[in-house]
Amino acid sequence: MKMGTDAETSPAQPEEHVPEYLEHSAWPVLIALATGVALTGLFFLFKHLVLLAGTLMMLSFGAVLVGFLYSETKNWASAVSKSLPRLPRDTILGPFPVDISLTIQIIILTELLLFGGAFGMYFAIRLQFPFWPPAGTPILDDFIARIQTLVLISSSVLVEWAVWQLKRGRQRAFKAGIVGTTILGSLFPILQFGFEWPHLILNNILTPASGFFGATFFLLTGIHGAHVVAGVIAYVYTDIRAFMGQYSPKNHGFVEASSTYWHFVHIIWLVLFALMWQGSRLLG
Amino acid sequence: MKLEDFGRFVIFTAIYAAGTLGLPKIPLFAYQIKIGEMASAFVAIFGMPAVFGLTLGQFIANLGVEASPIASLSPLFSFIGLLIIHYARKFSTLAGCVAYVIITSLWLTFLLPISSGISLTEAAYSAFIDQFIAVIIGYCAYVLVCKTMLSKAQAASN
Repeated sequence: MKMGTDAETSPAQPEEHVPEYLEHSAWPVLIALATGVALTGLFFLFKHLVLLAGTLMMLSFGAVLVGFLYSETKNWASAVSKSLPRLPRDTILGPFPVDISLTIQIIILTELLLFGGAFGMYFAIRLQFPFWPPAGTPILDDFIARIQTLVLISSSVLVEWAVWQLKRGRQRAFKAGIVGTTILGSLFPILQFGFEWPHLILNNILTPASGFFGATFFLLTGIHGAHVVAGVIAYVYTDIRAFMGQYSPKNHGFVEASSTYWHFVHIIWLVLFALMWQGSRLLG
Repeated sequence: MKLEDFGRFVIFTAIYAAGTLGLPKIPLFAYQIKIGEMASAFVAIFGMPAVFGLTLGQFIANLGVEASPIASLSPLFSFIGLLIIHYARKFSTLAGCVAYVIITSLWLTFLLPISSGISLTEAAYSAFIDQFIAVIIGYCAYVLVCKTMLSKAQAASN
């Protein structure tokens, strides 16, 4: 597998030395550990288990964060100034520091683990009930969910078309396609967080507190919605680079990476749609 | 399947899953035509991503309907049928589509009496007709697309 990478068309350039402080930093590991400790502390606090330990765990995360900011901010100016010239400003491209195809494969794998865990939780809860959804669960109106599905299908088709146009060197069609994808993509969270959730919660139809179905519904659709927002942000960035003329038939690694991520988010939505909306109709 | 094919794979998954869950079946006389099945013939154009996509689409669509556990085997039979369309495309896509209809209909004839309680004859009758109409409509669309692509290619070469 080889995706078009951002480095493919770069002119021969001397190897740039990566500063020591960027290459062997312990901060990512420390921050990751501290985040885990903080989440455990948060759990303790919410469950009123060990309040002192919970507070200390939260504080330790804050301490790590302060330490990171204190020791690292002095390097940021030089890091940014060294990185900025790497960003291409026209169709002649500079090297991209990482293999984008490997990156997106790792991202998709981690997302698979995240959603695999989330769906595992859903099925584990579901198996505890003789009937699912449990008695008393409202049958959800799937009108907005159907529109969201249509929006995602349209955006997936449009981004494929945009990449296809880019590979043939049709820049205008590519830009139109990628902007259209961004607009369609941004419709999804607007429908979810602007219409559906307020409708369900404010009318007391389904809330996170209304039983296991409500809790899993808001958790799963919330995680998915956050991923859609991340995808839209990636597309906005792609749009900006597209209008700066940074993509070409041989240089479309980031476009393909963001479209792969988008397609993945789309598949997750299909599973959610089947389980949460269609699945919730079974009782009725 | 390459990572670049992921988009096609997802689009076909969506066509089947959303076409089955999100859209009502099309009533044609006494028959109910499943929209997702119409995409089967396009396997001949889009290859293995479409085969995997439609199979996963069927799996996802089955998650949303009340069905017996044995129904979860349905994607397996579809997968075999779709593979036949894919490999038969070199000599006859139509033959592949007919093979797909036969395989999936035989499976549904076995499944429907278990899951829905209808008689074997009724199940066979409805499965064959429903599948046949859906796949043939898809095949006609496939022929249309092929002819359009061919004429465009000819125009480009002239």
